[in-house]
Amino acid sequence: MWVWFSKLGSPKWFYELSGKWLPWLIAAMVIFMAIGLVWGLLFLPPDYQQGFTSRILIVHVAVAGTSLAFFPLMFVAGTITLVWRMKLADMVAKNAAILGAWFSFVTLATGSLWGSVMWGTWWEWTDSRLVSMLFQLFLLLGVISLRSALEDSDTAAKACALLSIVGCINVVIIKYSVEWWNTLHQVSSPVNMDASSPNGPEFWIATLIMIVAVYLFLSVSLILSTRNEILERERKAQWVQDLVLKS
Amino acid sequence: MTGKQTTTWAAFLATLKRDLLIAFKKKNDIVNPFMFFIIVVSLFPIGISPESDRLTEIAAGVIWISVLLASMLSMDSLYRSDFEDGSLEQLLLSPHPLFFLVLAKNISHWLVSGLPVVLVSPLLAYMLALPSEAYGTLVLSLLLGTPIMSLIGSIAVALTVGLGSRGLILAVITLPMSVPILIFGTLAVQSTLNSQSPVGYLSLMLVMLSVSVSLAPLASGAALKISVN
Repeated sequence: MWVWFSKLGSPKWFYELSGKWLPWLIAAMVIFMAIGLVWGLLFLPPDYQQGFTSRILIVHVAVAGTSLAFFPLMFVAGTITLVWRMKLADMVAKNAAILGAWFSFVTLATGSLWGSVMWGTWWEWTDSRLVSMLFQLFLLLGVISLRSALEDSDTAAKACALLSIVGCINVVIIKYSVEWWNTLHQVSSPVNMDASSPNGPEFWIATLIMIVAVYLFLSVSLILSTRNEILERERKAQWVQDLVLKS
Repeated sequence: MTGKQTTTWAAFLATLKRDLLIAFKKKNDIVNPFMFFIIVVSLFPIGISPESDRLTEIAAGVIWISVLLASMLSMDSLYRSDFEDGSLEQLLLSPHPLFFLVLAKNISHWLVSGLPVVLVSPLLAYMLALPSEAYGTLVLSLLLGTPIMSLIGSIAVALTVGLGSRGLILAVITLPMSVPILIFGTLAVQSTLNSQSPVGYLSLMLVMLSVSVSLAPLASGAALKISVN
């Protein structure tokens, strides 16, 4: 177990292994993405309450669910960086923060699009999910800006690891306190939040396919960007130079 | 260490005393954030509305947000001079648990930056036409909330202590984390205004304070070790 663990920490080993996985992951991603997008966006019957607008939710729910995975991922990567000083964990964490910010932004954007039709407003403070997603985005941007501010990469790795751990705990507290704050203001809410639960088994199957597709997309992007990071940081290593010469 | 061993308690007190003394000698670091707080609060009635009905509605939020901004400004001085003159390294080399030394620094920082703000808040609350029955809740919520701000802010300051210009990055990191405190602090005041009991919110803030006191200095200490190589 420990041999495997320390092996996983070696960038070279990860680079070679992920190279073998990538074609399969990309193929699976393309298949799921194609089925989910084509079926979900073009053929899914309209919801009886929401009409065709419910199709936005297929993408939105999948992206939103995935964007919640980033802080736990960074928490784990941060712990590994601080405890075992594993370089690979930091490379993953660095790209996870950037991807996480994008996913949070896309979640907010697709949510607003859907909300603009269903709720008649692009932004609604009384919906706690919107508000806590906004603050998750802010926290992720904080991690990114801390990394870009620190010049020494070793200090940046540890500092961002610590901030990710603190941030992950904070995201949970923010989520629950915003929900609480909201239940108290819900009375004055002009929009009907219950409209966000469309029905029909097709809808859920399509959403499920999209969730798998988006998770595969996340894995592929994370692996690709981590591979880039490995090549950049290990550019002085012999095996990287051999690899560059070969290609 | 050679010679007489000091106890952790003595080291705690010595750090506390030293920081209070330094703060007393460099009054600018304390006075400016305090003035900033009062000025920001005074700008709101001019920018929004001088009508007392409107002001009553926003008073708690205005005071709380101004407190958060002011504490952001005052945080910057927490470790800076110690980092520049090398005494921060001495602190890290000390045989005593870093937890208590960091806690002492946080407490002294709160005494000179948080406490004055809490004490002056009833006056500003009066100027913002907050009904007098809510003064007690406001002061209590600030009394519980400002130390949490100092403790959380300390982590961010410790992480960025080596940077040249860290004013803005400090705010970017810390302000999102202050959302729960802002929520409970303002809800406590609002519930008093609606003649409900604020005890629930205040006890939640007390819980957050106890958790921050026990965990945040650990994170600050770790952050200092990362920043000071």
